[in-house]
Amino acid sequence: MSADTVQSIIDDLGALLLFTMILIIAASQISRAIYAVAAQSLLIAIAAGVLAKATGNVDLWVIAGVTLAVKAIALPWVLHWVVWRMNVRREVEPMIPVAATLALAVAVVVMSFHLSGSLGPVRQTITGNALPVGIALTLLGVLVMATRKTALTQMVGLFASENGIFFTAMAVTQGMPFIIEIGVTLDVILAALVMTIMVLKVRSTVDADIADLDRLKG
Amino acid sequence: MTGERPLGLVLLEMILLVLIGPLVTGVIQKLKARLQCRAGADILQPYRDLAKLFRKGTVQADTTSGFFRSIPVLVLAATVAAGALVPVLRAGPPAFPLGDALMLLGLLALARFLTAVGALDAGGAFGGMGASREMTIAPLVEPVLMMVVFSTAMAAGTTELGALAAHRGTSWIFAWRAADFLAFAALLVLLPAETGRIPVDNPDTHLELTMLHEGMLLEHSGPGLGCMVLASHTRQIVTLGLGAALFFPIGPTDGPGVMGLAVGAGAFAGKILALVIYLALVESSYAKLRLFRVPQYLGVGFVCALTALALRIL
Amino acid sequence: MPKLPRPGAEQNRCAQYNAPDRLRGCTSSERGNPNRGFRTAFITRSELPAGPGRWRTCPPPDVGVSAPSQELLLAGVLLMSACYGIGALSCLLAPWSGRLALGVGHLAALAGGLAGLGVSVAILLGDPGQTLAVPLPDLFPFARLSLVVDSLAAFFVLVISLVAIAAALYGPAYLRAHSPDAAPARQAAQALGLNVFIACMVFVCCAGDALTFLLCWEGMTLASYLLVVSEDRHGENAHAGLLYMVMTHGGTALLLVAFLSLTERAGAFDFTALRAAAGNLDGVTRTTLFFLAFGGFAAKAGAIPLHVWLPRAHPAAPSHVSALMSGVMLKVAIYGMLRFGFDLLAPAAAPLPSSWGWTVLFVGTISAVLGVLYALQQHDLKRLLAFHSVENIGIILIGVGLAMILWRREGAGGALATVALTAALLHIANHAAFKGLLFLAAGSVLARTHVRNMEDLGGLARRMPWTAGLFLLGAVAISALPPLNGFVSEWLTFQALLGGAGHFHGPAGLGIVFSAPMLALTGGLAAACFAKAFGVTFLGRARTPEAEHATEAPPSMIAGMVWLAVLCVALGVAPGYAIRLLDAPTAALLQGPGASAVVTARGPLVLSTALTTSGMDATAISMTMMAALLIALTGVAWVLRRGLRRASQRSAPTWTCGMSPTARFDYTATAFAKPLRLVFAALYRPRREVIRETAGTPYVFRRIHYAGEVVDLAETQIYHRVQRGITALSRSIRARSTGRIYGYIGFVLGALFVTLLLFGVGQR
Repeated sequence: MSADTVQSIIDDLGALLLFTMILIIAASQISRAIYAVAAQSLLIAIAAGVLAKATGNVDLWVIAGVTLAVKAIALPWVLHWVVWRMNVRREVEPMIPVAATLALAVAVVVMSFHLSGSLGPVRQTITGNALPVGIALTLLGVLVMATRKTALTQMVGLFASENGIFFTAMAVTQGMPFIIEIGVTLDVILAALVMTIMVLKVRSTVDADIADLDRLKG
Repeated sequence: MTGERPLGLVLLEMILLVLIGPLVTGVIQKLKARLQCRAGADILQPYRDLAKLFRKGTVQADTTSGFFRSIPVLVLAATVAAGALVPVLRAGPPAFPLGDALMLLGLLALARFLTAVGALDAGGAFGGMGASREMTIAPLVEPVLMMVVFSTAMAAGTTELGALAAHRGTSWIFAWRAADFLAFAALLVLLPAETGRIPVDNPDTHLELTMLHEGMLLEHSGPGLGCMVLASHTRQIVTLGLGAALFFPIGPTDGPGVMGLAVGAGAFAGKILALVIYLALVESSYAKLRLFRVPQYLGVGFVCALTALALRIL
Repeated sequence: MPKLPRPGAEQNRCAQYNAPDRLRGCTSSERGNPNRGFRTAFITRSELPAGPGRWRTCPPPDVGVSAPSQELLLAGVLLMSACYGIGALSCLLAPWSGRLALGVGHLAALAGGLAGLGVSVAILLGDPGQTLAVPLPDLFPFARLSLVVDSLAAFFVLVISLVAIAAALYGPAYLRAHSPDAAPARQAAQALGLNVFIACMVFVCCAGDALTFLLCWEGMTLASYLLVVSEDRHGENAHAGLLYMVMTHGGTALLLVAFLSLTERAGAFDFTALRAAAGNLDGVTRTTLFFLAFGGFAAKAGAIPLHVWLPRAHPAAPSHVSALMSGVMLKVAIYGMLRFGFDLLAPAAAPLPSSWGWTVLFVGTISAVLGVLYALQQHDLKRLLAFHSVENIGIILIGVGLAMILWRREGAGGALATVALTAALLHIANHAAFKGLLFLAAGSVLARTHVRNMEDLGGLARRMPWTAGLFLLGAVAISALPPLNGFVSEWLTFQALLGGAGHFHGPAGLGIVFSAPMLALTGGLAAACFAKAFGVTFLGRARTPEAEHATEAPPSMIAGMVWLAVLCVALGVAPGYAIRLLDAPTAALLQGPGASAVVTARGPLVLSTALTTSGMDATAISMTMMAALLIALTGVAWVLRRGLRRASQRSAPTWTCGMSPTARFDYTATAFAKPLRLVFAALYRPRREVIRETAGTPYVFRRIHYAGEVVDLAETQIYHRVQRGITALSRSIRARSTGRIYGYIGFVLGALFVTLLLFGVGQR
């Protein structure tokens, strides 16, 4: 595979990733958001596979497999189970109207493209849209976390942010050191586990969503 | 004319001031009495009072500390030492440098401080009240005096009184500038405050609520009181001599021998008499001010002195 | 051995009045040639103003000491450091015996003080350009530490050592008397803190580069903090220590900025490099750096309005530490100002920018007046003394400001600057002496009675005569009354003000000369304040049982006080010799004639300044003669007082209008200060609350409750407002805290946005 081909595949995947991100932001039901983030993780896995094929880096194959197994299949399944089991509210409750969130998302994307142009020396080693897309994904994931009320949607935002970081790392360095990859994945799994337990327990004890707990403040 | 005053002359002047201090008080008393249509006591009466005091025994309060007995001695010493700094018979700096106007003010402040401390020593409220009031007036008087001294010293380039008088001796009262008039006015405002006379203090009464200086002397008796009274006479004439040296240096010349000294003595007597008449007039014309009106009264002096300084500099 | 030239016709005869034989034939020699064995005179004969008559001016007297070698001085410095080090390490003896640790620590501090005294006097009597460089081990890779003891540093080391000797003599007995049941750990802390404190102060003055300066500055602060909070007083001390730390570190932050700006330009830390780098600064940067440094040093020195920590921290420390803090630590800040203003940041050959001197003069005047005004209303002896330190720092700053204004001006300005700086440096030494004495005396009162409020004392002069006498001596000294040392430095300041006012025409001159009556006002108010303090504490009747049963302080405490009292008297009666010691610092700092050439040109017994060059006689006073006159007159008056024949003496109760006098009749301190409180009410804003309890009818009072309060204007107008602003700001920020997680994530995102925009975008 030639470098240009790899480049164009990564760019296309980047565009698709942005599309899934927009789906997450615009989703009105939680299950749709979860499907979107699953799709996003799948695309990340594919990107990892393509890069693995192109550079011959064994680690990237492992990364692709782990991402596929954990973030595209296992964790979304856990989230779906929580949704089904706990009968949580099906709607995604945004803090600001969806249109405003989308406008913000556009601003973030524009800014990340602008930024990555000025990140001097890094710009020379990568070409194409991989870096801006990665930054945009990360920031948009944080945006989702900041503008949604329920805990589950915040988990979705966390996963999306995670995907963005992965993509940036892969695009810039052609793969992360394996230990970091495993560490980050474990991080995400643990976060998901903790959140799941908390949501279930709080729901069963207090019959309120975590998002409604707001007394602990200064 | 600049000459030098040998040490013997300085000491002679100092003794002279001590000796004629009570006379000045006597003259003021007589003038006041005459103005108030009374006969008044003899002008030598203060001498008789002092002699009586020095012959009497001492009654000391039982709560006083060891310092009490030495307070009159130290106060008298400080005041008489201040007298050594005033040029009386002849203008000119002393042969061996002794002190200047600032040291004179410092010695008078030392005397005042020790008097206040002595007043607090016996316990009781009179001494404390007198000391408190005296130490309230003192910090308000000293800056104004300082400004008066400075405004004249700036013209002469020295704060040493003899040299200052020698410099001013060349310029008669007609050569006074506006700054001098204002400074003199400030000095006239200050004189009753420094000498403890109406309108700031009443030297004749012994009512506890109306006295500043007398209140501090209440617990002294016998020779101790004699020393304190002599010190207050000396302080008065030293202040008058300060005013004379600053503003009326005419008279003291460099003339040789006894003739020059006699002329100087006559001139000094004339200057002191003029200021004495002023004091007697003020005492007879005004009532004593309330304590908290005194800062306003002194404020007039302050403004005059400040304007004098400003005119001198600008 | 070079021969003394014989006195010949072409040489002026020196002053022969009271001069010993070896002064005849003294001559002026060249500057700075150590081989000749003479102490150098600083100006040649032709430059000295000629006095009238037979009083020719004379170079300063030759003390006849041969030039101490560098090795000897170095050994002295090392000995001093070793003594302080041993003292600091003596805290390790605490597990065996706390008292042993305390004793050894203070003994080592005493030895260090004596060593410092010797070294500094040797340097001061030597060549003005002589500096002693002490190599230090290389601790840091990026800077070399060094100690450079030049004459200015030597002067400050002298002042520090003098007070350190007194404090070391005084300390152990005081700590035993004041807190007899202190734990060994606390005693160890005292020994450690004292030695580290003194050592750090000495090394700050001797620092040769910025890093040593800042390190020892911090060490000084931390050691004094340790000592401030070392006594147990129900949390008061903790608050005082905290305020002290906060304000000192604020000042140190300003200092850091000033120093690091210079080191960044110079590329190195040592003072010679900084001096060179500062030579290329433009005016605005130079002035900014000076004001930064001035702010930092003013916070440490306690100038208004940065003084709010002083009245809390100084009383909280043990009394000998208060003496050190008030007498010496504040002066180390002045050393820093002098070093920055005249040495590091000064332009090469031009006068200093006028804003520097005027600001310092203004701050000094305000500090002097407000300091003494607030001191008047205090009833805690140590708090009163702390406010007086603010006042005296103001007086020192007046001198420093004048010197900055007048330095290198044409005409008589140069000599006047020397007079002003001499006044400031002399006041530094004087204040260390009499403030140290006063704090030690207050400490002995506190140690014996454990009462701080002077209204609860009284009658102590009969029970503690030595302490009372020494306190009176200190009170006379601090009120600037002749013949003691306070008067000398104030006289010099007045002369400098008068000369400076004559030098400037127009509003500038008026500004200078206005400081003089303000200075006179502070002198008068100080006398009033100490009349109150001495009178209410020591005189009258004992008002509480503690005062009733007080006894005299132990001899070692009295020894410490007597040391400082002797210093006060010596500096007052014979200041010419002390001014001789000031030659080297003033000559080195101002690059002009030394102090004694300008101030004691007529010999060591006479202080003289020439205010004009119009051929008028210079103003000359002689403290020695005046002291002699006073002693003679005291003798005469004593004889007079004893009366011409034996007269009766009896004792009787004080007159209280016929009632039996009790302690309630004594005039209280509040009442004593009340007239002044009312006169200056605009500055004090006093508040008063009188509650009358009646019994039965409204005309019979069972009890009258009187509460009065005087506020510190700086505190209410500045600090409370700043505090309220900060609290309001944090309250409004707190309102944004929603408790929900998405809000916080939103904050993070926003911050990330802003950071990326600010730093990322500009790089193209």
